[in-house]
Amino acid sequence: MLIRRRTLLAASAAATVASPAIAQNYPRRAVQLVVAFPPGGSTDVGARILAAMAEKDFGQPITVVNKAGAGGQIGFTEIARARPDGYTLGFLNLPGMNTITLDPERKAAFTIDSFIPIVNQVLDPGFIWAKGDSPYKTLADLVDAAKKNPGKISACTTGILSDDHLAILMVQEAAKCEFRIVHFDGGAQQLTGVLGGHVDVAFDNVGSVFKRVGTGEILGLAVTDTQRSKFLPQIPTTPELGMPSVISNSTRGVGAPKGTPADICKIVETAFLKAINSAEMKEKMDAVGLALKPMVGAEYAKYYADLQAQAKKYTEWALKMR
Amino acid sequence: MDALGHLLSGFAAALSLHYLLYAFAGCILGTLIGVLPGLGPAAGTAILIPLTFSLDPTGAIIMLSAIYYGAMYGGTITSVLINVPGEAASVVTCIDGHQMARQGRAGSALGIAAIGSFVGGTLATVALVVVAMPLATLALKFGPAEFFALMVAGLCLVVGLAGKNILAALLMTVIGLLLSLIGLDPVRGAPRFTFGVEELFDGIGFVPVVMGLFGVAELLLAAETRQTHMIQAELKSWMPTRQECKDCIGAILRGTGVGFVLGLIPGVGAIVPTFMAYVLEKRVSKTPERFGKGAIEGVASAETANNAYANAAMVPLLALGIPSSPTIAVLMGAFIINGIQPGPFLFAEQPKLVWTVIASFFVGNVLLLILNLPLVGLWAKLLKIPFSYMCAGVLIFCVIGAYGLKQSLFDVWVMLGFGIIGYLLRKLDFPIAPAILALILGPMMEKSLRTTLEISGGSFAIFLDRPVALVLLAIPVIVIGFLLFKPRSLAPLRESDVD
Repeated sequence: MLIRRRTLLAASAAATVASPAIAQNYPRRAVQLVVAFPPGGSTDVGARILAAMAEKDFGQPITVVNKAGAGGQIGFTEIARARPDGYTLGFLNLPGMNTITLDPERKAAFTIDSFIPIVNQVLDPGFIWAKGDSPYKTLADLVDAAKKNPGKISACTTGILSDDHLAILMVQEAAKCEFRIVHFDGGAQQLTGVLGGHVDVAFDNVGSVFKRVGTGEILGLAVTDTQRSKFLPQIPTTPELGMPSVISNSTRGVGAPKGTPADICKIVETAFLKAINSAEMKEKMDAVGLALKPMVGAEYAKYYADLQAQAKKYTEWALKMR
Repeated sequence: MDALGHLLSGFAAALSLHYLLYAFAGCILGTLIGVLPGLGPAAGTAILIPLTFSLDPTGAIIMLSAIYYGAMYGGTITSVLINVPGEAASVVTCIDGHQMARQGRAGSALGIAAIGSFVGGTLATVALVVVAMPLATLALKFGPAEFFALMVAGLCLVVGLAGKNILAALLMTVIGLLLSLIGLDPVRGAPRFTFGVEELFDGIGFVPVVMGLFGVAELLLAAETRQTHMIQAELKSWMPTRQECKDCIGAILRGTGVGFVLGLIPGVGAIVPTFMAYVLEKRVSKTPERFGKGAIEGVASAETANNAYANAAMVPLLALGIPSSPTIAVLMGAFIINGIQPGPFLFAEQPKLVWTVIASFFVGNVLLLILNLPLVGLWAKLLKIPFSYMCAGVLIFCVIGAYGLKQSLFDVWVMLGFGIIGYLLRKLDFPIAPAILALILGPMMEKSLRTTLEISGGSFAIFLDRPVALVLLAIPVIVIGFLLFKPRSLAPLRESDVD
C-alpha cells in the first residue's frame, strides 16, 4: 500500500516535472485541426481562416483535416479518441455536439466531458425568417397563425436536433403553439424551400442569409439571441419580443481531447486567441457574416456546461415527440 | 449597358494577361484534382481556397472556377485509360470510354471528351448569359415533391430502357437501394444497418465503391489473362477521326441540352445528367447494341452533359445564390470570402465582376481544350507501360485515392471488397451501372420523399396537387407499361446493356 502510494507520488512528481518540458518543446511538428464537417461549410471556412492566421505565431503548420459525417459525430469521435498530446485539436460545434451525446439512439462513443474547450471563435445567432412577401410580417403574426392552425404552419430546420430544431421547440414552448417541422439538410435547401413557397418559415442562422434581408428577398422576423446581431441591427431579438427563454445560437471553438496537458492548452489558447482578435480575422469573418465571440478559460467552460443543460432539456423533449 | 456590352467588357478584362494566367493555373490544378481519385472537385476546390486569398476577388473566382471545370474534365482521363473514375461524374464515361481504349482508341475517346466538354461548357455558358434570371426563378418551383418524382423517373428510365436483362438490372437497382439505406437515418438520425461500426454511419462511401467495382475489378479481370500490357490492342488513333466527330454531333448537342436543364435544378448532382444523356443517346441510336462496347457517342454524350451541367449549375448560384452541388457550395464559400454575395442582386450590384467571371468561363473552356488536346497523346502513351507495373501502379493509385477521401483505412477495405464483388458480377454478366445510380439516388430519393411528407403532414395526395411531380411520376409508369405490353417494338434495345 505504502509502496503503491510512493510510486504514485513519484509518478505524479515526474509528471509535474515532465509537463513543462513537453510544453517547452510544443509544438515540434505540424498540428492537426479536425473539422467534423465537409470542406466549404461555414465551420470549415472559419477553421481554414483561423488555421492560416494562427500558424504564423504558432511556429508549426496547422493542418485542417475534414472528418465529416453523421452530423459531426465521426469527427467528434476522432477528436475524443486522439492521443492527448496537443497534436490533434478539433473544432467543437455546439449545440450539435451536445445533442449527439444526448440522443441514446446515436450511441456516441464520447460524452461532453471527452473534450477540453480551449478557445471559442464564432457565435452565430439563430435567425427566424420568411419569404419577402410572406403574410407573416412579425414573429407575433407567425405565432398567432400557428396557434390558430396548430400543426399547419411549416417551419424548416437544418437537420434534426440542430440548433434550429431546438429553437423551434423553444418558440413552441414559449408561445404554446405548434408548427409542422420539416427537416432539411442545410441552408441551401432552406432557401429553395422557403423562396419557392414550399415551406412557410425558416429557422436558420444569421451568417448564412443576412445579406438577403436588406434586399426585400427575405423578411427577418427575429434573432434568437440576448443582443441584436451586428449584421442585422434592424431585426428585434426574441427577448425584446417577449420570449426571453428563446435563446439559440450555434458556436464553434477549438478544443482538445481530455487529458491534454494544461500548459499545452495554454499555448494553443494564446496563439489562437491572438489570431481571433486580429483585424484581418475580423475583416474576413465579417465578409462571411460570422460574428466572432472569443471566449476562453472559465467563461468558455461555463458556456459549455450551461449549453449542455439547455440542450438536454430540449433534446429529451424532441425525443419524446418522435 | 445591355448584357452583350457587359459581356464584351468582361472579355476585355478576362483576357488580360494575369487573369489568363490564373485561369490557366486553375485548369492545370483542376485537371490534377480530377485525375486523382478520392480528391473530388469539392474537396480539391476547398483545399485550394486559401491559395486565392492573396488574389483580387475577380482573379480568385476565375481561378477557382477554372479548377472546378478542370476537375470535371480530369476525371475522364483515368476513366478511359484504367477504368477508374476520378470523380463521380465520370462513371458513365468508363462504360464506353474504357472499351474504346481496349480497342486502341483511347486517343479518340479522350479527344471527343475534350471536344464535347468544350462544346457543352460553351453552349451552356451562352444559355447562362441569355436566360439566367427567368430560368433560375423557375427552378425554385422545384420543391422536394418534384425532386423526388425526378429521381424516380431517372432511376426507372435508366433501368427500364437500358437492360438487355431487365430482371438483372432491376435486381442490381434494388441491391444499390438497399446499400444506400446503410448509415444514419436522414431524418431521425438513428443508425441503420451499421452494426455499431461508426465508419458506416455515413453510409457506404460512393467513391470507394465505384473505384472497387470499376478499377479494382478491371485489374482482377485483366490479371486473369496473363497479358503483357493493360491494353493489348495497338494504339490506332491519337485523335477522333472526322467521321467519329460527325457521328457525335447529335450526341454532343443532346448531351448539352440534358446537362443544361438538369443543371438548373438544385441538388441533382453531376452524375444524373451523365446517366440520362447516355440513356437518351442509346435510345435514339440506330445501333444501340454498340453501347457498352466502345460507342464513341456514349463517351461524347456523357462528357458533354457533365460539362454543360457544371456550367448550368452556375445559374442558380449566380442568379439566386443557391448552391446546387457540394462543389458549387465550396465555390460559393469562396465567392463570399472574396466579398461577393451571389444572389438576385449580384448582376445589378457588381455587373463588372459578374460579366468578367462569365467571360472567364468561356476563356476557361477554351484553355481547357487547348491544354487537353495536345496532352491526349501523352496520356494515351501511359498505356504502353508493361502490365505488371501498370497493375501495381493502378492499385496503389486506387488505395491512395480511397484513403485520401476521408483519411480513413475503412474506405480502402470497402474499395477492395467491392473490387471482388465487381469481379464476380462481371463474371456473372450482371450490369453494374444501375446499382451505382441507385446507390447515389437512394438517399436523395428517401430524403426528398420524407421531406415531402413532412411538408404535407404525411399525405401522399401532395403528389396529385403538383403537376410537375405528377408528370414526372407518370413517365416511368408509361415506360414500364410500354415494356410490359409491347416488348417486341423495343426488341433492338434489349440486345445491349448500359454496362
